[in-house]
Amino acid sequence: MIEGRIDSLYRYPVKGLTGEMLQRVSLVAGEGFPADRLFGFVRHGSGFDPARPQPLPKDRFLMLMKDERLAGLEASFDPANWHFDVRVQGHLVHRADLSRQDGRDATEAFFATMFDIPHEEMPRFVHAAPHRFTDVSVVSSGLMNAVSLINLESLRDFEMRLGKEVLPARFRANIYFDGWPAFSELELVGREIMIGEARAIVTLRTRRCAATEVNPRTARRDIPVPRLLMQHYGHSDLGIYAEIQDDAVIEPGSRISVMGAN
Amino acid sequence: MQANLSLRLSQKRDLTADICEFTFVAADGAPLPRFEAGAHLTIETPSGAWRSYSLNNDDGETSRYVIAVKREEQGRGGSLSLHRQLHVDQLVHARAPHNGFALVSAPRYLLIAGGIGITPMLSMLRRLRRQGCDVHMVYLTRSRDMAAYADLLESPEFSGLVTLHHDHGDPKRTYDFWPLFATPDDRHIYFCGPPALMNAIYLRTIHWPRRQIHSESFSGVDAQDGQASAFRLRRASTGETFDIAADKSILDVLRDRRIAFASSCESGTCGTCKVPLVAGEPDHRDLCLSEEERQSAFIPCVSRALSDEITLDI
Repeated sequence: MIEGRIDSLYRYPVKGLTGEMLQRVSLVAGEGFPADRLFGFVRHGSGFDPARPQPLPKDRFLMLMKDERLAGLEASFDPANWHFDVRVQGHLVHRADLSRQDGRDATEAFFATMFDIPHEEMPRFVHAAPHRFTDVSVVSSGLMNAVSLINLESLRDFEMRLGKEVLPARFRANIYFDGWPAFSELELVGREIMIGEARAIVTLRTRRCAATEVNPRTARRDIPVPRLLMQHYGHSDLGIYAEIQDDAVIEPGSRISVMGAN
Repeated sequence: MQANLSLRLSQKRDLTADICEFTFVAADGAPLPRFEAGAHLTIETPSGAWRSYSLNNDDGETSRYVIAVKREEQGRGGSLSLHRQLHVDQLVHARAPHNGFALVSAPRYLLIAGGIGITPMLSMLRRLRRQGCDVHMVYLTRSRDMAAYADLLESPEFSGLVTLHHDHGDPKRTYDFWPLFATPDDRHIYFCGPPALMNAIYLRTIHWPRRQIHSESFSGVDAQDGQASAFRLRRASTGETFDIAADKSILDVLRDRRIAFASSCESGTCGTCKVPLVAGEPDHRDLCLSEEERQSAFIPCVSRALSDEITLDI
Protein backbone atom coordinates (compact mmCIF):
# COMPACT_ATOMS: atom_id res chain seq x y z
CA MET A 1 0.00 0.00 0.00
CA ILE A 2 1.15 3.49 -0.80
CA GLU A 3 0.18 5.92 1.90
CA GLY A 4 0.55 9.65 2.18
CA ARG A 5 -1.01 12.61 3.94
CA ILE A 6 -3.01 15.58 2.77
CA ASP A 7 -0.90 18.71 3.03
CA SER A 8 -3.44 21.41 2.19
CA LEU A 9 -6.87 22.00 0.68
CA TYR A 10 -8.00 24.82 -1.60
CA ARG A 11 -11.04 25.92 -3.47
CA TYR A 12 -11.27 28.52 -6.22
CA PRO A 13 -14.82 29.89 -6.06
CA VAL A 14 -14.27 32.16 -9.09
CA LYS A 15 -12.43 30.62 -12.02
CA GLY A 16 -9.06 32.28 -12.57
CA LEU A 17 -9.05 34.15 -9.28
CA THR A 18 -7.44 33.65 -5.89
CA GLY A 19 -7.73 30.32 -4.15
CA GLU A 20 -9.02 29.98 -0.62
CA MET A 21 -7.29 27.64 1.82
CA LEU A 22 -9.64 25.36 3.72
CA GLN A 23 -9.15 23.59 7.05
CA ARG A 24 -11.91 21.03 6.55
CA VAL A 25 -13.83 19.89 3.51
CA SER A 26 -16.93 17.72 3.33
CA LEU A 27 -16.64 15.59 0.23
CA VAL A 28 -19.88 14.39 -1.31
CA ALA A 29 -20.14 11.36 -3.60
CA GLY A 30 -20.35 12.39 -7.24
CA GLU A 31 -19.59 16.04 -6.54
CA GLY A 32 -16.52 18.19 -6.86
CA PHE A 33 -14.97 20.35 -4.19
CA PRO A 34 -17.63 22.42 -2.41
CA ALA A 35 -18.04 25.83 -4.09
CA ASP A 36 -15.10 25.23 -6.41
CA ARG A 37 -15.26 27.10 -9.75
CA LEU A 38 -18.99 27.69 -9.58
CA PHE A 39 -18.46 31.27 -10.75
CA GLY A 40 -16.56 32.85 -13.55
CA PHE A 41 -16.19 35.82 -15.86
CA VAL A 42 -16.82 34.91 -19.49
CA ARG A 43 -15.54 36.99 -22.36
CA HIS A 44 -17.90 38.78 -24.68
CA GLY A 45 -19.43 36.48 -27.27
CA SER A 46 -18.68 33.32 -25.25
CA GLY A 47 -22.13 31.93 -25.98
CA PHE A 48 -22.67 30.85 -22.38
CA ASP A 49 -26.34 30.46 -21.44
CA PRO A 50 -26.87 30.04 -17.68
CA ALA A 51 -30.27 28.47 -18.34
CA ARG A 52 -28.67 25.74 -20.46
CA PRO A 53 -25.08 25.62 -19.25
CA GLN A 54 -22.69 23.88 -21.61
CA PRO A 55 -18.99 23.45 -20.87
CA LEU A 56 -16.86 26.12 -22.52
CA PRO A 57 -13.20 25.99 -23.50
CA LYS A 58 -11.08 27.80 -20.95
CA ASP A 59 -10.06 30.57 -23.33
CA ARG A 60 -13.64 31.90 -23.23
CA PHE A 61 -13.08 32.98 -19.62
CA LEU A 62 -10.91 35.53 -17.97
CA MET A 63 -8.17 33.18 -16.82
CA LEU A 64 -4.48 32.99 -16.11
CA MET A 65 -3.44 31.34 -19.36
CA LYS A 66 -4.22 34.57 -21.22
CA ASP A 67 -4.57 37.11 -18.43
CA GLU A 68 -1.59 36.56 -16.16
CA ARG A 69 -2.23 39.85 -14.37
CA LEU A 70 -5.16 38.18 -12.61
CA ALA A 71 -2.49 36.59 -10.42
CA GLY A 72 -1.67 40.07 -9.10
CA LEU A 73 -5.17 40.46 -7.62
CA GLU A 74 -6.08 39.14 -4.19
CA ALA A 75 -9.74 38.33 -4.68
CA SER A 76 -12.08 37.03 -2.04
CA PHE A 77 -15.55 35.80 -2.81
CA ASP A 78 -17.95 34.46 -0.23
CA PRO A 79 -20.10 31.78 -1.90
CA ALA A 80 -22.65 32.18 0.93
CA ASN A 81 -23.55 35.83 0.32
CA TRP A 82 -21.70 36.61 -2.94
CA HIS A 83 -19.72 39.46 -1.43
CA PHE A 84 -16.66 40.10 -3.55
CA ASP A 85 -13.53 42.04 -2.63
CA VAL A 86 -10.43 42.67 -4.69
CA ARG A 87 -7.18 43.86 -3.21
CA VAL A 88 -3.93 44.97 -4.83
CA GLN A 89 -0.85 44.62 -2.64
CA GLY A 90 -3.12 44.59 0.39
CA HIS A 91 -5.16 47.65 -0.62
CA LEU A 92 -8.89 47.29 -1.30
CA VAL A 93 -9.56 48.39 -4.89
CA HIS A 94 -13.02 46.93 -5.52
CA ARG A 95 -15.92 45.76 -3.36
CA ALA A 96 -19.26 44.57 -4.65
CA ASP A 97 -22.26 42.41 -3.86
CA LEU A 98 -22.50 40.06 -6.83
CA SER A 99 -26.04 39.05 -5.90
CA ARG A 100 -27.14 42.51 -7.09
CA GLN A 101 -27.18 43.77 -10.66
CA ASP A 102 -25.34 46.99 -9.77
CA GLY A 103 -22.63 44.95 -8.06
CA ARG A 104 -22.22 42.73 -11.11
CA ASP A 105 -22.16 45.76 -13.42
CA ALA A 106 -19.48 47.47 -11.34
CA THR A 107 -17.40 44.30 -11.19
CA GLU A 108 -17.65 43.65 -14.93
CA ALA A 109 -16.56 47.28 -15.46
CA PHE A 110 -13.62 46.74 -13.08
CA PHE A 111 -12.30 43.86 -15.19
CA ALA A 112 -13.06 45.64 -18.47
CA THR A 113 -10.95 48.59 -17.27
CA MET A 114 -8.13 46.34 -16.10
CA PHE A 115 -7.96 44.45 -19.40
CA ASP A 116 -8.60 47.36 -21.81
CA ILE A 117 -11.87 45.78 -22.92
CA PRO A 118 -14.22 48.18 -24.76
CA HIS A 119 -17.57 48.91 -23.18
CA GLU A 120 -19.51 46.93 -25.77
CA GLU A 121 -17.43 43.83 -25.10
CA MET A 122 -17.66 43.69 -21.31
CA PRO A 123 -16.94 40.33 -19.70
CA ARG A 124 -19.94 38.86 -17.90
CA PHE A 125 -20.19 37.33 -14.43
CA VAL A 126 -21.73 33.88 -14.76
CA HIS A 127 -22.85 31.02 -12.57
CA ALA A 128 -25.15 28.10 -13.21
CA ALA A 129 -24.63 25.83 -10.20
CA PRO A 130 -24.24 22.90 -10.09
CA HIS A 131 -22.39 23.59 -13.34
CA ARG A 132 -18.67 24.09 -12.70
CA PHE A 133 -16.19 25.99 -14.82
CA THR A 134 -13.34 23.53 -14.44
CA ASP A 135 -10.91 23.22 -17.36
CA VAL A 136 -11.80 19.55 -17.82
CA SER A 137 -15.56 20.23 -17.82
CA VAL A 138 -15.28 20.07 -21.60
CA VAL A 139 -14.19 16.42 -21.38
CA SER A 140 -17.19 14.98 -19.51
CA SER A 141 -19.73 15.86 -16.83
CA GLY A 142 -18.01 13.37 -14.53
CA LEU A 143 -14.75 15.28 -14.89
CA MET A 144 -16.55 18.58 -14.40
CA ASN A 145 -17.18 17.30 -10.89
CA ALA A 146 -13.79 15.72 -10.31
CA VAL A 147 -11.34 17.03 -7.72
CA SER A 148 -7.78 17.88 -8.68
CA LEU A 149 -4.77 16.58 -6.79
CA ILE A 150 -1.06 17.35 -6.78
CA ASN A 151 1.59 15.05 -5.34
CA LEU A 152 4.15 17.39 -3.76
CA GLU A 153 6.82 14.71 -4.18
CA SER A 154 6.38 14.96 -7.97
CA LEU A 155 6.71 18.71 -7.74
CA ARG A 156 9.91 18.37 -5.70
CA ASP A 157 11.34 16.01 -8.31
CA PHE A 158 10.53 18.59 -11.00
CA GLU A 159 12.07 21.40 -8.92
CA MET A 160 15.22 19.35 -8.42
CA ARG A 161 15.58 18.78 -12.15
CA LEU A 162 15.06 22.48 -12.87
CA GLY A 163 17.18 23.67 -9.96
CA LYS A 164 14.59 26.27 -9.08
CA GLU A 165 11.53 26.74 -6.96
CA VAL A 166 8.15 25.97 -8.54
CA LEU A 167 5.36 27.22 -6.29
CA PRO A 168 2.59 24.64 -5.78
CA ALA A 169 0.05 27.47 -6.17
CA ARG A 170 0.82 27.55 -9.90
CA PHE A 171 -1.18 24.36 -10.29
CA ARG A 172 -4.36 25.52 -8.55
CA ALA A 173 -5.22 22.06 -7.22
CA ASN A 174 -7.90 21.24 -4.67
CA ILE A 175 -5.82 18.72 -2.76
CA TYR A 176 -2.06 18.90 -2.27
CA PHE A 177 -0.67 15.75 -0.69
CA ASP A 178 2.67 14.27 0.18
CA GLY A 179 4.20 10.87 0.72
CA TRP A 180 3.70 9.03 -2.57
CA PRO A 181 6.69 8.31 -4.81
CA ALA A 182 7.20 11.04 -7.41
CA PHE A 183 4.87 10.65 -10.39
CA SER A 184 3.45 7.34 -9.14
CA GLU A 185 0.04 9.04 -9.20
CA LEU A 186 0.14 9.23 -12.98
CA GLU A 187 0.01 5.43 -13.21
CA LEU A 188 -3.30 5.18 -11.37
CA VAL A 189 -5.82 6.15 -14.02
CA GLY A 190 -8.80 3.79 -13.65
CA ARG A 191 -7.74 2.76 -10.14
CA GLU A 192 -9.37 3.40 -6.81
CA ILE A 193 -7.67 5.49 -4.12
CA MET A 194 -8.75 6.51 -0.63
CA ILE A 195 -8.92 10.20 0.24
CA GLY A 196 -9.56 10.15 3.96
CA GLU A 197 -12.50 7.77 4.31
CA ALA A 198 -13.79 8.43 0.78
CA ARG A 199 -13.14 6.12 -2.13
CA ALA A 200 -12.23 7.94 -5.31
CA ILE A 201 -11.56 6.80 -8.88
CA VAL A 202 -8.60 8.38 -10.67
CA THR A 203 -10.01 9.42 -14.04
CA LEU A 204 -7.41 11.59 -15.77
CA ARG A 205 -3.83 12.79 -15.67
CA THR A 206 -3.69 16.58 -15.64
CA ARG A 207 -2.05 17.86 -18.79
CA ARG A 208 -0.68 21.26 -17.87
CA CYS A 209 -1.31 24.39 -19.90
CA ALA A 210 0.37 27.77 -20.15
CA ALA A 211 -1.53 29.04 -17.08
CA THR A 212 1.16 27.30 -15.02
CA GLU A 213 3.82 29.55 -16.56
CA VAL A 214 2.51 32.40 -14.41
CA ASN A 215 4.32 33.00 -11.14
CA PRO A 216 1.63 33.67 -8.50
CA ARG A 217 3.99 36.00 -6.61
CA THR A 218 5.05 38.24 -9.49
CA ALA A 219 2.01 37.88 -11.80
CA ARG A 220 4.40 37.37 -14.69
CA ARG A 221 5.19 34.39 -16.84
CA ASP A 222 8.59 33.03 -15.95
CA ILE A 223 8.96 29.23 -15.98
CA PRO A 224 7.61 27.49 -19.13
CA VAL A 225 6.23 24.61 -17.08
CA PRO A 226 4.51 22.50 -19.79
CA ARG A 227 7.58 22.65 -22.03
CA LEU A 228 9.95 21.79 -19.21
CA LEU A 229 7.77 18.86 -18.11
CA MET A 230 7.88 17.63 -21.69
CA GLN A 231 11.65 18.00 -21.84
CA HIS A 232 12.29 16.27 -18.53
CA TYR A 233 9.62 13.56 -18.53
CA GLY A 234 8.43 13.18 -22.12
CA HIS A 235 4.91 14.32 -21.20
CA SER A 236 3.37 17.51 -19.82
CA ASP A 237 1.32 15.90 -17.04
CA LEU A 238 1.50 16.92 -13.41
CA GLY A 239 -1.33 15.95 -11.09
CA ILE A 240 -4.49 13.89 -11.46
CA TYR A 241 -8.25 14.23 -11.35
CA ALA A 242 -10.36 11.88 -9.24
CA GLU A 243 -14.11 11.34 -8.89
CA ILE A 244 -15.39 11.02 -5.35
CA GLN A 245 -17.38 7.87 -4.54
CA ASP A 246 -18.30 8.37 -0.86
CA ASP A 247 -19.19 11.17 1.51
CA ALA A 248 -16.38 12.00 3.92
CA VAL A 249 -14.77 14.85 5.79
CA ILE A 250 -11.10 15.50 5.01
CA GLU A 251 -8.54 17.90 6.43
CA PRO A 252 -4.80 18.50 6.29
CA GLY A 253 -3.17 15.42 7.78
CA SER A 254 -5.86 13.03 6.49
CA ARG A 255 -4.55 9.83 4.92
CA ILE A 256 -4.45 9.44 1.19
CA SER A 257 -3.64 5.95 -0.05
CA VAL A 258 -3.68 3.47 -2.89
CA MET A 259 -5.19 0.13 -2.01
CA GLY A 260 -3.34 -2.97 -3.05
CA ALA A 261 -0.36 -1.19 -4.57
CA ASN A 262 3.07 -2.77 -4.33
CA MET B 1 26.26 46.59 -37.82
CA GLN B 2 27.09 49.70 -39.83
CA ALA B 3 27.60 52.99 -38.08
CA ASN B 4 25.65 55.74 -39.73
CA LEU B 5 26.49 58.79 -37.62
CA SER B 6 29.78 60.35 -36.66
CA LEU B 7 29.48 62.36 -33.42
CA ARG B 8 31.90 64.61 -31.57
CA LEU B 9 31.87 64.83 -27.78
CA SER B 10 31.41 68.54 -27.13
CA GLN B 11 30.97 68.50 -23.37
CA LYS B 12 31.49 66.08 -20.50
CA ARG B 13 30.52 66.81 -16.91
CA ASP B 14 29.99 64.88 -13.68
CA LEU B 15 26.41 64.96 -12.40
CA THR B 16 26.96 62.77 -9.33
CA ALA B 17 29.79 60.65 -7.97
CA ASP B 18 29.10 57.95 -10.56
CA ILE B 19 26.92 59.56 -13.23
CA CYS B 20 28.50 61.54 -16.03
CA GLU B 21 26.74 63.56 -18.72
CA PHE B 22 27.96 63.44 -22.33
CA THR B 23 26.87 65.98 -24.94
CA PHE B 24 27.43 65.04 -28.58
CA VAL B 25 27.18 67.14 -31.73
CA ALA B 26 27.50 66.10 -35.37
CA ALA B 27 31.18 65.77 -36.35
CA ASP B 28 30.48 67.88 -39.43
CA GLY B 29 28.45 70.45 -37.50
CA ALA B 30 25.26 69.70 -39.45
CA PRO B 31 21.86 69.25 -37.76
CA LEU B 32 21.35 65.83 -36.22
CA PRO B 33 18.56 63.42 -37.12
CA ARG B 34 15.51 64.24 -35.01
CA PHE B 35 14.53 62.05 -32.09
CA GLU B 36 11.47 61.69 -29.90
CA ALA B 37 11.41 61.78 -26.11
CA GLY B 38 12.02 58.25 -24.83
CA ALA B 39 14.44 57.37 -27.63
CA HIS B 40 17.88 55.94 -27.09
CA LEU B 41 21.16 56.52 -28.86
CA THR B 42 23.40 53.56 -29.63
CA ILE B 43 27.09 54.41 -29.64
CA GLU B 44 30.37 52.63 -29.95
CA THR B 45 32.09 53.00 -26.60
CA PRO B 46 35.90 53.23 -26.39
CA SER B 47 35.88 49.60 -25.16
CA GLY B 48 34.62 48.62 -28.62
CA ALA B 49 31.23 47.54 -27.25
CA TRP B 50 28.08 49.15 -28.63
CA ARG B 51 25.75 50.42 -25.91
CA SER B 52 22.38 52.18 -25.90
CA TYR B 53 21.59 55.14 -23.66
CA SER B 54 18.39 57.17 -23.38
CA LEU B 55 18.57 60.73 -24.68
CA ASN B 56 17.59 63.23 -22.02
CA ASN B 57 17.59 66.60 -23.77
CA ASP B 58 14.51 68.22 -25.31
CA ASP B 59 13.43 66.38 -28.44
CA GLY B 60 12.89 69.72 -30.12
CA GLU B 61 16.67 70.16 -30.33
CA THR B 62 18.59 69.10 -33.42
CA SER B 63 21.97 70.53 -32.47
CA ARG B 64 22.95 67.96 -29.83
CA TYR B 65 22.32 64.59 -28.22
CA VAL B 66 22.68 64.48 -24.43
CA ILE B 67 23.03 61.24 -22.46
CA ALA B 68 23.89 60.51 -18.84
CA VAL B 69 25.75 57.32 -18.05
CA LYS B 70 26.14 55.63 -14.71
CA ARG B 71 29.51 54.03 -14.17
CA GLU B 72 28.96 50.32 -13.63
CA GLU B 73 32.08 49.02 -11.89
CA GLN B 74 30.78 45.46 -12.21
CA GLY B 75 29.45 45.94 -15.73
CA ARG B 76 30.84 44.69 -18.99
CA GLY B 77 33.08 47.69 -19.51
CA GLY B 78 31.05 49.96 -21.81
CA SER B 79 30.16 52.58 -19.20
CA LEU B 80 33.60 52.46 -17.59
CA SER B 81 35.28 53.14 -20.91
CA LEU B 82 32.99 56.11 -21.57
CA HIS B 83 33.78 57.60 -18.18
CA ARG B 84 37.52 57.02 -18.36
CA GLN B 85 38.54 57.02 -21.99
CA LEU B 86 36.21 59.32 -23.89
CA HIS B 87 37.37 62.93 -23.87
CA VAL B 88 36.02 66.17 -25.28
CA ASP B 89 36.50 66.55 -29.06
CA GLN B 90 36.91 62.82 -29.62
CA LEU B 91 34.72 61.24 -32.29
CA VAL B 92 32.42 58.25 -31.81
CA HIS B 93 30.38 56.12 -34.17
CA ALA B 94 26.66 56.01 -33.49
CA ARG B 95 23.41 54.84 -34.96
CA ALA B 96 20.48 57.22 -35.40
CA PRO B 97 18.22 57.35 -32.32
CA HIS B 98 15.51 54.74 -32.04
CA ASN B 99 12.40 54.99 -29.90
CA GLY B 100 10.81 51.96 -28.24
CA PHE B 101 9.28 54.04 -25.44
CA ALA B 102 7.30 56.76 -27.16
CA LEU B 103 4.88 59.16 -25.49
CA VAL B 104 1.31 58.72 -26.59
CA SER B 105 -1.21 61.52 -26.53
CA ALA B 106 -2.95 61.60 -23.14
CA PRO B 107 -4.95 64.01 -20.98
CA ARG B 108 -2.50 63.71 -18.07
CA TYR B 109 0.86 62.10 -17.45
CA LEU B 110 2.59 60.60 -14.42
CA LEU B 111 6.32 60.00 -14.89
CA ILE B 112 8.23 57.89 -12.37
CA ALA B 113 12.00 57.64 -12.40
CA GLY B 114 14.28 55.63 -10.13
CA GLY B 115 18.00 56.41 -10.12
CA ILE B 116 19.53 56.50 -13.60
CA GLY B 117 16.03 55.81 -14.95
CA ILE B 118 15.69 59.60 -14.90
CA THR B 119 17.25 59.87 -18.37
CA PRO B 120 14.28 59.05 -20.67
CA MET B 121 11.89 60.63 -18.16
CA LEU B 122 13.75 63.92 -18.26
CA SER B 123 13.41 64.15 -22.02
CA MET B 124 9.69 63.39 -21.71
CA LEU B 125 9.27 65.96 -18.96
CA ARG B 126 11.00 68.65 -21.03
CA ARG B 127 8.74 68.03 -23.99
CA LEU B 128 5.49 67.76 -22.00
CA ARG B 129 6.32 70.96 -20.13
CA ARG B 130 7.12 72.75 -23.38
CA GLN B 131 3.81 71.61 -24.83
CA GLY B 132 1.90 72.74 -21.74
CA CYS B 133 0.68 69.22 -20.88
CA ASP B 134 -0.55 68.19 -17.43
CA VAL B 135 2.42 66.26 -16.06
CA HIS B 136 3.76 65.19 -12.67
CA MET B 137 7.08 63.48 -12.12
CA VAL B 138 8.18 61.42 -9.13
CA TYR B 139 11.93 60.94 -8.96
CA LEU B 140 13.35 58.50 -6.43
CA THR B 141 16.98 58.17 -5.41
CA ARG B 142 18.73 56.99 -2.31
CA SER B 143 20.00 60.46 -1.46
CA ARG B 144 20.04 63.92 -3.01
CA ASP B 145 23.75 63.53 -3.80
CA MET B 146 22.86 60.58 -6.00
CA ALA B 147 20.10 62.37 -7.89
CA ALA B 148 21.35 63.42 -11.32
CA TYR B 149 19.73 66.69 -12.48
CA ALA B 150 18.29 67.42 -9.01
CA ASP B 151 19.25 71.11 -9.29
CA LEU B 152 17.60 71.40 -12.68
CA LEU B 153 14.44 69.67 -11.50
CA GLU B 154 14.21 72.00 -8.50
CA SER B 155 14.74 75.09 -10.65
CA PRO B 156 11.87 77.47 -11.52
CA GLU B 157 11.66 75.87 -14.96
CA PHE B 158 10.12 72.74 -13.45
CA SER B 159 8.54 74.31 -10.38
CA GLY B 160 5.58 72.33 -9.07
CA LEU B 161 6.01 69.50 -11.55
CA VAL B 162 8.46 67.24 -9.74
CA THR B 163 8.45 65.33 -6.44
CA LEU B 164 11.93 64.26 -5.37
CA HIS B 165 12.11 61.57 -2.72
CA HIS B 166 15.13 60.02 -1.03
CA ASP B 167 14.79 56.93 1.15
CA HIS B 168 18.40 56.94 2.46
CA GLY B 169 18.34 53.15 2.19
CA ASP B 170 15.74 52.92 4.94
CA PRO B 171 12.81 50.62 4.06
CA LYS B 172 10.59 52.67 6.39
CA ARG B 173 11.15 55.71 4.16
CA THR B 174 10.22 53.96 0.92
CA TYR B 175 8.03 56.20 -1.21
CA ASP B 176 4.35 55.34 -0.85
CA PHE B 177 3.00 55.11 -4.40
CA TRP B 178 -0.40 53.90 -3.38
CA PRO B 179 -2.21 57.28 -3.34
CA LEU B 180 -1.10 57.72 -6.98
CA PHE B 181 -2.28 54.29 -8.10
CA ALA B 182 -5.36 53.52 -5.98
CA THR B 183 -7.96 54.46 -8.56
CA PRO B 184 -7.36 54.11 -12.31
CA ASP B 185 -8.25 57.36 -14.08
CA ASP B 186 -7.19 59.11 -17.28
CA ARG B 187 -3.47 59.37 -16.48
CA HIS B 188 -0.87 57.57 -18.53
CA ILE B 189 1.98 56.30 -16.35
CA TYR B 190 5.54 56.09 -17.68
CA PHE B 191 8.25 54.56 -15.53
CA CYS B 192 11.88 53.59 -15.69
CA GLY B 193 14.23 52.44 -12.96
CA PRO B 194 15.95 49.48 -11.34
CA PRO B 195 14.20 46.07 -11.46
CA ALA B 196 12.87 46.25 -7.89
CA LEU B 197 11.12 49.53 -8.67
CA MET B 198 9.80 48.24 -12.01
CA ASN B 199 8.35 45.16 -10.31
CA ALA B 200 6.83 47.19 -7.48
CA ILE B 201 5.08 49.52 -9.92
CA TYR B 202 3.93 46.63 -12.14
CA LEU B 203 2.26 44.95 -9.16
CA ARG B 204 0.76 48.17 -7.78
CA THR B 205 -0.74 49.14 -11.14
CA ILE B 206 -1.95 45.64 -11.96
CA HIS B 207 -5.59 46.85 -12.01
CA TRP B 208 -4.87 49.69 -14.47
CA PRO B 209 -5.59 49.42 -18.19
CA ARG B 210 -2.42 48.28 -19.95
CA ARG B 211 -2.71 50.95 -22.61
CA GLN B 212 -2.06 53.55 -19.89
CA ILE B 213 0.98 51.84 -18.37
CA HIS B 214 4.28 52.31 -20.18
CA SER B 215 7.73 51.15 -19.23
CA GLU B 216 10.93 50.41 -21.05
CA SER B 217 10.06 46.92 -22.07
CA PHE B 218 12.12 44.12 -23.42
CA SER B 219 9.37 42.80 -25.66
CA GLY B 220 10.34 40.05 -27.96
CA VAL B 221 11.48 37.74 -25.20
CA ASP B 222 8.78 35.21 -24.47
CA ALA B 223 8.25 32.51 -21.88
CA GLN B 224 10.16 30.12 -24.12
CA ASP B 225 13.27 32.26 -23.69
CA GLY B 226 13.38 32.89 -27.41
CA GLN B 227 13.69 36.11 -29.30
CA ALA B 228 10.51 36.91 -31.17
CA SER B 229 9.98 39.23 -34.08
CA ALA B 230 6.94 40.34 -36.01
CA PHE B 231 5.84 38.61 -39.22
CA ARG B 232 2.81 38.25 -41.47
CA LEU B 233 0.42 35.32 -41.57
CA ARG B 234 -1.44 34.45 -44.76
CA ARG B 235 -4.58 32.35 -44.50
CA ALA B 236 -4.53 29.91 -47.40
CA SER B 237 -8.30 29.48 -47.58
CA THR B 238 -9.12 33.16 -48.07
CA GLY B 239 -5.83 34.90 -48.87
CA GLU B 240 -6.34 37.22 -45.88
CA THR B 241 -3.18 38.41 -44.14
CA PHE B 242 -2.65 39.15 -40.47
CA ASP B 243 0.20 41.04 -38.87
CA ILE B 244 1.61 39.06 -35.94
CA ALA B 245 3.36 41.42 -33.53
CA ALA B 246 6.46 40.30 -31.65
CA ASP B 247 4.54 39.95 -28.38
CA LYS B 248 1.55 38.07 -29.87
CA SER B 249 1.09 34.49 -30.99
CA ILE B 250 -0.77 33.54 -34.18
CA LEU B 251 -3.43 32.09 -31.90
CA ASP B 252 -3.78 35.41 -30.02
CA VAL B 253 -4.25 37.34 -33.24
CA LEU B 254 -6.76 34.93 -34.75
CA ARG B 255 -8.72 34.80 -31.53
CA ASP B 256 -8.86 38.60 -31.41
CA ARG B 257 -10.27 38.46 -34.93
CA ARG B 258 -12.85 35.92 -33.78
CA ILE B 259 -11.50 33.12 -35.90
CA ALA B 260 -12.51 29.99 -34.02
CA PHE B 261 -9.71 27.66 -33.13
CA ALA B 262 -9.32 24.55 -31.04
CA SER B 263 -6.47 24.94 -28.60
CA SER B 264 -5.57 23.68 -25.19
CA CYS B 265 -2.13 23.94 -23.64
CA GLU B 266 -1.00 27.11 -25.48
CA SER B 267 2.56 26.12 -24.76
CA GLY B 268 3.37 23.92 -27.76
CA THR B 269 3.07 20.61 -25.96
CA CYS B 270 -0.35 19.10 -26.65
CA GLY B 271 -0.81 19.47 -30.43
CA THR B 272 -4.50 20.44 -30.26
CA CYS B 273 -4.07 23.51 -32.45
CA LYS B 274 -2.01 21.75 -35.18
CA VAL B 275 -2.61 23.11 -38.71
CA PRO B 276 -1.17 22.32 -42.15
CA LEU B 277 1.84 24.38 -43.18
CA VAL B 278 1.54 25.62 -46.77
CA ALA B 279 4.41 28.02 -47.46
CA GLY B 280 7.07 30.12 -45.78
CA GLU B 281 9.95 29.29 -43.52
CA PRO B 282 8.66 28.16 -40.13
CA ASP B 283 10.29 28.72 -36.75
CA HIS B 284 8.98 25.58 -35.05
CA ARG B 285 8.86 26.12 -31.30
CA ASP B 286 6.60 23.24 -30.35
CA LEU B 287 7.58 20.10 -28.47
CA CYS B 288 4.98 17.81 -29.98
CA LEU B 289 5.64 17.43 -33.71
CA SER B 290 8.14 14.94 -35.11
CA GLU B 291 10.76 16.18 -37.55
CA GLU B 292 8.78 14.50 -40.31
CA GLU B 293 5.53 16.18 -39.23
CA ARG B 294 7.29 19.52 -39.17
CA GLN B 295 7.64 19.39 -42.93
CA SER B 296 3.90 19.85 -43.35
CA ALA B 297 2.41 20.83 -39.98
CA PHE B 298 2.65 23.80 -37.66
CA ILE B 299 1.68 24.61 -34.06
CA PRO B 300 0.33 28.18 -34.05
CA CYS B 301 0.16 28.69 -30.27
CA VAL B 302 3.95 28.99 -30.04
CA SER B 303 5.57 28.66 -33.45
CA ARG B 304 6.52 31.68 -35.53
CA ALA B 305 8.06 32.48 -38.90
CA LEU B 306 11.66 33.01 -39.91
CA SER B 307 10.52 34.44 -43.24
CA ASP B 308 8.53 37.70 -43.46
CA GLU B 309 5.42 35.73 -44.29
CA ILE B 310 4.08 32.27 -43.57
CA THR B 311 1.00 30.62 -45.09
CA LEU B 312 -1.11 28.22 -43.07
CA ASP B 313 -4.21 26.25 -43.98
CA ILE B 314 -6.57 27.67 -41.40
